[in-house]
Amino acid sequence: MAIIKTKKNREAVIPTSSMSDIAFLLLLFFMVSTVFVQEKKFWVERERWPIAESIERIPRNHTTTIYVMRDETILIDDVPTRIESAEDVFVSTTLVRKKTDDPDLVVCFRTDRETKYGVMSDVMRQLQDANTLVVAFETQQRKD
Amino acid sequence: MKIGRKRKGKAEIPTSSMSDIAFLLIIFFMATTKFDVKEGIKLVLPQATEKQEGEVQSLTLTEKEMTRLQITGDGQIMVNKEAPRVIESGELDTLIQKKVKENQDMIFKVITDREAKYSEMVRVVDRLKAAKIEKISLSTN
Repeated sequence: MAIIKTKKNREAVIPTSSMSDIAFLLLLFFMVSTVFVQEKKFWVERERWPIAESIERIPRNHTTTIYVMRDETILIDDVPTRIESAEDVFVSTTLVRKKTDDPDLVVCFRTDRETKYGVMSDVMRQLQDANTLVVAFETQQRKD
Repeated sequence: MKIGRKRKGKAEIPTSSMSDIAFLLIIFFMATTKFDVKEGIKLVLPQATEKQEGEVQSLTLTEKEMTRLQITGDGQIMVNKEAPRVIESGELDTLIQKKVKENQDMIFKVITDREAKYSEMVRVVDRLKAAKIEKISLSTN
């Protein structure tokens, strides 16, 4: 009578040798894509932005951000300024320089929703003087 | 007498915990990463006009060609020459649609009071953008 051989059950092993390679690849991705946003003294929190529905995505590579606080302080390039008279042209001169560096410049406004429109109007006039005509009002997406 | 030699063990760097360390770092970066995408309402401002004699053209537009949406300091809206009143977003949508039905190339001029809240202007522009209006003019009084 022939002897029936029983198959030896091999131990199931998950190959883990390449696990660290995958992990390091992911790690590199996150390290490269992470930007630590430093909280500025003048900061308009997202919750303070106006709410809108018909918003569009704005490519970051050609943007500069102007912060406008409720107390009418304007922050551009981390420098706080105010527009109190026609001689306050800091915004305009800064944007002329930026526009020279990047002709496709888009100026994004991060403005507190309670800010009076007057200051926004003054800033936009300076934008026109600097010939930086493409603007974006950053808003929160309406959730309903 | 035989002198026993110590066998030299092969030098190895322990790599078994490497993936644990890597995953810990990944979790840290995943938790701290925030994709800062910019989203908002995009507009193109008109060019600044230099006041030189004979170069600036003045244009008079009628109500059939242009609708004035004047936002007052307390957030009320005046439509053309009507009395100011509170207009909710739904009513504003209906009004815009009605005006567009009257004239497909209708220009909407949003005149915001200097004392009005910025969010009021954004709300009106948002409704105009939602109605696919391209000809939007911003001004203040």
